[in-house]
Amino acid sequence: MSSDVILVIVVGTALAFDFTNGFHDTANVVATSISTGAARPSVAIGIASLLNFAGAFISISVAATVAKDVVNADVVTPTVVFAGLIGAIAWNLITWSVGLPSSSSHALIGGVVGSAVAASGLDAVLADGLVGKVLIPALIAPILAFLVAGLAIGLVYRIVGRQRPGVVTRGFRFGQLISGGLLALAHGTNDAQKTMGVITLALVANGTLAAEANPPLWVIVSAATAIALGTYSGGWRIIRTTGTRIIKMDAAQGFSAQGAGAAVILASTHFGFPLSTTHVINGGVMGAGAGKRVSAVRWGVAGNIVVAWLLTLPAAAAIGALAYGLTRIFGTGALGPVLVTLMSLSLIVAIFARRSRAGAPVAVH
Amino acid sequence: MAVIVETENLLRTIVASLVAGVGVTVIFSVAIWGAARFADLNRDDRHLAAGAAATLAGLALAATLIAVAFGIVVMTRK
Repeated sequence: MSSDVILVIVVGTALAFDFTNGFHDTANVVATSISTGAARPSVAIGIASLLNFAGAFISISVAATVAKDVVNADVVTPTVVFAGLIGAIAWNLITWSVGLPSSSSHALIGGVVGSAVAASGLDAVLADGLVGKVLIPALIAPILAFLVAGLAIGLVYRIVGRQRPGVVTRGFRFGQLISGGLLALAHGTNDAQKTMGVITLALVANGTLAAEANPPLWVIVSAATAIALGTYSGGWRIIRTTGTRIIKMDAAQGFSAQGAGAAVILASTHFGFPLSTTHVINGGVMGAGAGKRVSAVRWGVAGNIVVAWLLTLPAAAAIGALAYGLTRIFGTGALGPVLVTLMSLSLIVAIFARRSRAGAPVAVH
Repeated sequence: MAVIVETENLLRTIVASLVAGVGVTVIFSVAIWGAARFADLNRDDRHLAAGAAATLAGLALAATLIAVAFGIVVMTRK
């Protein structure tokens, strides 16, 4: 009975994380389309939400990686997964409140690894999977997106550079409807699967699913719905960082950045790599800027984002470990997760109240 | 062994990303070039050349959409 209560809390927390993931990453998906004038904010966010939902259904490779290749499922309990999720949500909200586009994915994996280590020591971590499927792709993906976008925009300017700017701008704005849609689809498929993987891990840990089982349909549908709702709720504060503060983009750069991001995320998803979509999209944006003019990129802002990236895994791991420790103070039953959930909700309310007092715009209509 | 497999998949990811990301962008740029040339040539009453530019634009746009659809189909087939 107690373990079922914990499982329900874990599923609820995982879906809350998925919501915050969509909320946190809206900017990454739509910022370039909005900043180049390719789409109105409400339209861009609406389309992104629908395609995030659809994207969650096109693959389960990443979910399998998160569920089976990062931590040892034999030593993971639903409480470990719960604490990891708390670490990820807390870090997402902290970085969102200060306007930094850090990685929701690394927060999730860091949180789960931190809580697993707190519960069972370093043996809980599957080092091969963590390094080979998470850390190395995490390093390569944003650089790859940077190179793809930089190379693409260089070729674009060679092809259309002497044509009338009006036609070219209108053409690439139209193209951004496709590239932006693909990017939203890519985001949905990679990021929603991480939540599916975590819920699957909890179901396996609880004995509800067999160890090699794939995510059940209800898990896929609920994860897709949560990320789509989160995306629709949107994060305006970070849109400013991604869309205009890194570089001032034209439509061709926006198309190249979005195309590079979508290509890298979709290819990685196909092979089961749980990427940071934030890293990849920002890598594409910087590549598209540098491909036109290296000095066009505001490297100071980009540097701040890199710092947030570097902090994410260890910070989320530390919060995950702390959440596990807090939970265990109240024993192995459901009381710990219930109390930690209440504390987390209080933290969320406090952050939103602080944001409201600061007068930051939140809602999109 | 696991690391070798991941290396192979990583290399495939890199190649697929480069081909798809750069390839689709370049093909779409050709479509825009064709559209821009069509507008210019049509304005100059060079209708045959304008028709050729429009055809090129249409083919490149179709190729872009086919490439996007192909990518999504590949994703769903695993």
